[in-house]
Amino acid sequence: MKVNHYEYLMRAGATRRAVLKGAASMAAVAAASTGTLGALTRHASAQDNLRAEILKIPGVGKGSPTDADWQKVGEMCLGATKASVAEGEFAGVELTFMGLNNQNLHNFLFRGFLKPWEAYTGAKINWIDLAQADYNARLQQSIATGTVDFDILEMGAPFEGDTASKGLLDEMPDWVAKQIDSDDLVGYLKPPVGTWEGKTYRVNIDGDCHTFAYRKDYLTDPAISGATGVTEMPTTWQQVNEWTKKIKGQKDPLTGLDAYGFIDPLKGWGGFGFYFLEDRATAYAKHPDDKAWLFDADTMKPRVNNPAFVQAIQDVMDLIAAGAYPSDQINADPGTTAFQQFLAGTGGALTWWGDVGSMARTSDTSVVGDVAAFSILPGSDRVYNSKTGEWETPDGGNFAPNMAYIGWGVYVTSRVSGDEKKRKAAWSAAAHLGGKDLSLWTVAYPSGFQPYRQSHFNYDEWEAAGYDRAYIENYLGSNADSYNHPNAAIEPRIPGIFQYYSVAEDELAKGFAGQYKSAQETADAIAAAWEKITDQIGRESQIKLYKASLGL
Amino acid sequence: MSQGDLLHVVTADDISDRRRLFGRAIVWGSALVVALVAALQTAQHMGYADFGFQTWRPVLYAYIFWAACLCWSQVLIRGEHGKRTLFVLPAALFVVSLTVFPLLFGLVIAFSNWNLSSPLGRQFNGLDNVRQMWADPFYWNALRNMVWYTLAILVEYVIAFALALLLNSEIRARKFFRVAFLLPLMLSPVAVSWMIGKSMLEIRFGPVARFARWLGWDNPSFFGSPEVARFTIMLLDAWTFIPFMMIMILAGLQAIPKELTEAAKVDGAGPWKSFWEVTFPLMLPVSITAILIRIIFKLKLADIIINLTAGGPGGATDSVTSFIFREYRDRSNVGYGTLLAMVYLVIIIIAMTILMKVADRFARPRT
Repeated sequence: MKVNHYEYLMRAGATRRAVLKGAASMAAVAAASTGTLGALTRHASAQDNLRAEILKIPGVGKGSPTDADWQKVGEMCLGATKASVAEGEFAGVELTFMGLNNQNLHNFLFRGFLKPWEAYTGAKINWIDLAQADYNARLQQSIATGTVDFDILEMGAPFEGDTASKGLLDEMPDWVAKQIDSDDLVGYLKPPVGTWEGKTYRVNIDGDCHTFAYRKDYLTDPAISGATGVTEMPTTWQQVNEWTKKIKGQKDPLTGLDAYGFIDPLKGWGGFGFYFLEDRATAYAKHPDDKAWLFDADTMKPRVNNPAFVQAIQDVMDLIAAGAYPSDQINADPGTTAFQQFLAGTGGALTWWGDVGSMARTSDTSVVGDVAAFSILPGSDRVYNSKTGEWETPDGGNFAPNMAYIGWGVYVTSRVSGDEKKRKAAWSAAAHLGGKDLSLWTVAYPSGFQPYRQSHFNYDEWEAAGYDRAYIENYLGSNADSYNHPNAAIEPRIPGIFQYYSVAEDELAKGFAGQYKSAQETADAIAAAWEKITDQIGRESQIKLYKASLGL
Repeated sequence: MSQGDLLHVVTADDISDRRRLFGRAIVWGSALVVALVAALQTAQHMGYADFGFQTWRPVLYAYIFWAACLCWSQVLIRGEHGKRTLFVLPAALFVVSLTVFPLLFGLVIAFSNWNLSSPLGRQFNGLDNVRQMWADPFYWNALRNMVWYTLAILVEYVIAFALALLLNSEIRARKFFRVAFLLPLMLSPVAVSWMIGKSMLEIRFGPVARFARWLGWDNPSFFGSPEVARFTIMLLDAWTFIPFMMIMILAGLQAIPKELTEAAKVDGAGPWKSFWEVTFPLMLPVSITAILIRIIFKLKLADIIINLTAGGPGGATDSVTSFIFREYRDRSNVGYGTLLAMVYLVIIIIAMTILMKVADRFARPRT
């Protein structure tokens, strides 16, 4: 949904929920143009059949998909490849694919999806699997030492500053854009994301934003709601913090163990951990009139030690001091909070990428499928205006969903640029993974990816696949609302961005452990380290790229 | 030629002056080639001229050429003796190349500002990294932690000795216990940190945490506070490596002649006296070797920490290696990380030299 359509509907008096209830975001766009809020009438076609069929593999509630399922889906979605590539056309071509192996997802899925592709085209793919925490270091090392040894790369948009700016990527051919139907992407993933100096480099396979996931049973359980006085999920961080403190001492209705409110990851995760502090900070720091929120756009002076970020750090420190977290939380990284804690029944709420929603229902390790609910990130009663240096209290609070990581994409490196056959093979593999139909499957089942196309918000398809309608509207609604939010916090695609994050989470961990005297001192340590990185990389070029990434 | 040498030389050499001269010429000639190629390449690297070099490989090839000439010249100049040298020289050159060159390159990096994302690449920054290290409380903290970790070896040693004595005595199923006690050593520390640190010590469902709750510890936390976290890391590391010390001490115990302890017994020494006056002194050389090797292992401690706590909480469990790992990997601070590693290397060399001197004095049998 486009922001202007969203705003139009809001002005027309529709509630957010009603907009999303009516239809998928595409349907909402259509509805907006006709002035009614009706569901999109869909025409039955072979395409629909395929989409319905792949969603039956293995079926919601039938356990986690296996390699056989991934291969089956890959085989069924091979139509677009067969239309553009002759059988055996890439015989003798060998490609190297570098990606992640988190939770046995990502590359594990790609292997399965691409197996039928390899059988059909004759190409062979070699794999480099990386743990999430090792990803940045491996990529940076390859770039810095001139040893890029991969042809296809699973990469997030934040790294475009590190790669595209150095000429390491191959420009996407037009036929790929057509094959993957780029127009179907949600608004915020369209250019400039995926492009650099006007050239497109990215096949999207994911859309990223952090949403707020919480347990409904914490609002209905008599003991917990009695202690907290909360029966509707809080919508601001101030309320969430209060709620969290009051839950202390209660018992979890599912596990019978101690109950906890909001769970922050207090340990780093190769830079990715900083997103979780950002989740708190954006509400305070992302002013609707200012696109910049991490740095001052004109000077690259860090804002991470301004009163807004310090407040976010202070919030976490207050909860630590109140003993509101599980006892070993200081040692819990984001992977722990999501998979070992929230999905396994510890904690009443957390922020995470949207895929926690589909995992709650389809993963074998989840026990919260029936009680999980979702919304956009909490907001704040007040927002800090960096330009005036004053706190402001807007009506209805300030909300700023964090578009953390802007999604994974598949990129092709310039290693293949000189060899047309290899280049076509690499792009064909990338296009297969980013295909419209295949993507529906990846966002519906555990894959590490969340919805990123307008066509993913067609609730009927999800319902037909076995999802509960109310659940899916709630889950997908939180994603759509975040993507389309007018005050979304978009991260800068500048070189070294993960160094900034890694330093920040390292310093935060020290602050949370009491190594610094205060939240301000912790934030100052981060800011000092950020200034140093900026100087190392080159302030002038960083300012230029930061402005470009913000569209200034 | 000494008498000893004659024993091993089969033929007497009759080497002409011209042959010797040729031998020296190829060594110096090839060395000149290396110097020339290196100079040209450096000139190109500095931007003075372009000789069309794509990589630094020509220097490498020139070095290999020089090494081959050096080997050949040994035979040319020294004949049969040279052939004997040839058995060792290529291997020695190879080892030197693999240690000296990286060390020199490492030194260059250590005095540079090198952020992997910087478009400018590596830049010399003098003593900046040293100053930064001097003012970095977290590096000093990691060094202090290393002292604690190393001191824990004394406790490990006592336990290992006790276990070795146990396994050396006539107990039932002795062979089974010997293998069983060795098992932890066979596990990778990474596996130990996942299986024990992340699974068994998991605070909700981990069996150890459940047991702790059953014992009355309401909220067991094994990595929550700095002291407990450091202790848990020590424990995991000790569990993995005590068997190593144990097996060395056990080997030493088995080498002690039975007559000695029997003689002590005849002389009326009790078990404690015979241990303290006979077994322990005889075991000192083995013990010191075991402890020294264990210290070397301990100084490299990183895998368990990186996997379990990433140095946390707040650097409380950081070892120097894990700290450098994060500095390099997360912050891409290659120059600073390398300097820290170099300083650590120097500290280790000095400390180990002193330790070995002291140990040498202790290990001498008491008179």
